[in-house]
Amino acid sequence: MGALTDKYCIVGVGETPHMRPSNRTTLSMACEAVKKAMADAGLEPRDIDGMTSYQAGDSTTSNHIATSLGMRLNYSVDILGGGSSTEALIGNTIGLLEAGYCKTMLIFRSMNGRSGRRMGGQAPSGPVPPTRAAEDNQFMMPWGWTSPAQRFGMSAMRYLRDTGTTTRSLAEIAVAHRYHASLNPKAVMRHPITIEDHQNSRWVVKPLRLLDCCLETDVSACLIVTSRERAYDLRQPPVFIMGGTGRTMAPNAAWNYSRPEIHYVAGNYGRKRLFGMAGISQKDVNLISCYDAFTFTTLIQLEAYGFCGKGEAGEFVKGGRLQIDHELPSNLSGGHLSEGYTHGVSMVIENVRQLRHRADDACPGWAEGKHSYDRQAGCRQVKDARIAACLGWGTETMSSSAILRGIAA
Amino acid sequence: MPGPIDYSKITITPDFDTVEWWMATKEHKYLVRQCKDCGHKWFPPFPACNKCNAMDLGWFETAGTGVLHSYIVVTQPILGAFVEAVPYVVGLIELDDCHEADGSLVRVGGVMLDDEEDVAIGLPVKVEFEQTNEANIVVPRWKISGTAENTWKFNE
Repeated sequence: MGALTDKYCIVGVGETPHMRPSNRTTLSMACEAVKKAMADAGLEPRDIDGMTSYQAGDSTTSNHIATSLGMRLNYSVDILGGGSSTEALIGNTIGLLEAGYCKTMLIFRSMNGRSGRRMGGQAPSGPVPPTRAAEDNQFMMPWGWTSPAQRFGMSAMRYLRDTGTTTRSLAEIAVAHRYHASLNPKAVMRHPITIEDHQNSRWVVKPLRLLDCCLETDVSACLIVTSRERAYDLRQPPVFIMGGTGRTMAPNAAWNYSRPEIHYVAGNYGRKRLFGMAGISQKDVNLISCYDAFTFTTLIQLEAYGFCGKGEAGEFVKGGRLQIDHELPSNLSGGHLSEGYTHGVSMVIENVRQLRHRADDACPGWAEGKHSYDRQAGCRQVKDARIAACLGWGTETMSSSAILRGIAA
Repeated sequence: MPGPIDYSKITITPDFDTVEWWMATKEHKYLVRQCKDCGHKWFPPFPACNKCNAMDLGWFETAGTGVLHSYIVVTQPILGAFVEAVPYVVGLIELDDCHEADGSLVRVGGVMLDDEEDVAIGLPVKVEFEQTNEANIVVPRWKISGTAENTWKFNE
């Protein structure tokens, strides 16, 4: 196991509703999420002395939140980044806490991801001219190849060709995550869907349909990390961080497309580090969050992180394997596909709640860890949830991860 | 064939690493970076050789031919320039003359001039150059140039 396995814990989580639109500033939303996470942990503003966040030039910063809420921080750094940043910043945080830079640290993301700046250069009201095609974008934007769906679609298409997988396997992921959203009062899309609903949804960019794509929303979400010694005294059962990776790269990370296999993604390079540090195997994992910017990103990471063999994910996901009460429940909140898009924070938050045995579902006693496991009655708590793998995705060539352990099951 | 692309809605800004590449497209040349020390070729034109780390670099003029390695069909426009262009195909082209002994290769993207029905992975393609509204910007595009065995077409 890693030298710091189980030494640091996630002790607080919080988020705003997923809004479309928020009509609020990213600062206002972030303050709400931070207050909720502190209340969840039983911490006061004076207890938080470190803060970090990630953004794409579209968000408030730690000093604004600290000023708004009356905090004085001993460490504050806001980085540029998107998907996969959450788990990477958990790694940074462990290092900073270990080194004594601060004692209790908060990680947040705040974004008007729908009403403000959208991925791929699209304006809220529809297509607009981008300002500039600069840097790498000089060799993508002029040929109309910009949005994440368009970029990852290129790898998805080749994957379908190389493995014989069909889009019905992508549909399995959309259906599973939507089913979980149907059990999540916070989710944006809650009506269950079928494989056929997926197959009949409109094309966005072939081979991806509307129901392959996540829901851009306006939201802020955050989590709080501290040492296990401090965690003992806090309000919630601690969730221990067993291991992780941070933006681990595949070769040629800034240009995926000249690698021999464009769908041999970065998780393949992080897998051994992740499970080695945590000291467990894939078979020990009870549930996962597997980044679902698109159904394809979930599918391909099941292979990358070794939950099935290379080229086998299309078969692996069939028969509802990713659904609750099945072999490998995935994205229990509904994920980015059906709960709402947070660039990854919400997936870690959901795993924390699951590992506390306190999924915030329709069960009247969820806050005390009392669940019925009756899915018809709206319970989404995974039985015996002890270990969760968080599999973040940035691009085909960048991935972060974390394995978490709970003690409440 | 894609619908009209309104290049006035894209401002391409060549920089220190790329300006010579864009100048060459005006002369209908498709260049890739080449290391003067070890001969390695790559694209986009990152400013150092990732095999030997040399920064004394030249350009290799490719034949502008390749094989379609993958493609997407854009049905929902994201950029204003492409509102009238949908549906259009973006191809990923593996260049014919950039293969190296250790398996290194170069793949580039580009708009396909062909309709979706005529595109399949494995087909040979050739570059064509498109004048834009900006005198200094010529955009390479690609066209299916022949037939091949064992091609694959997305069909769902």
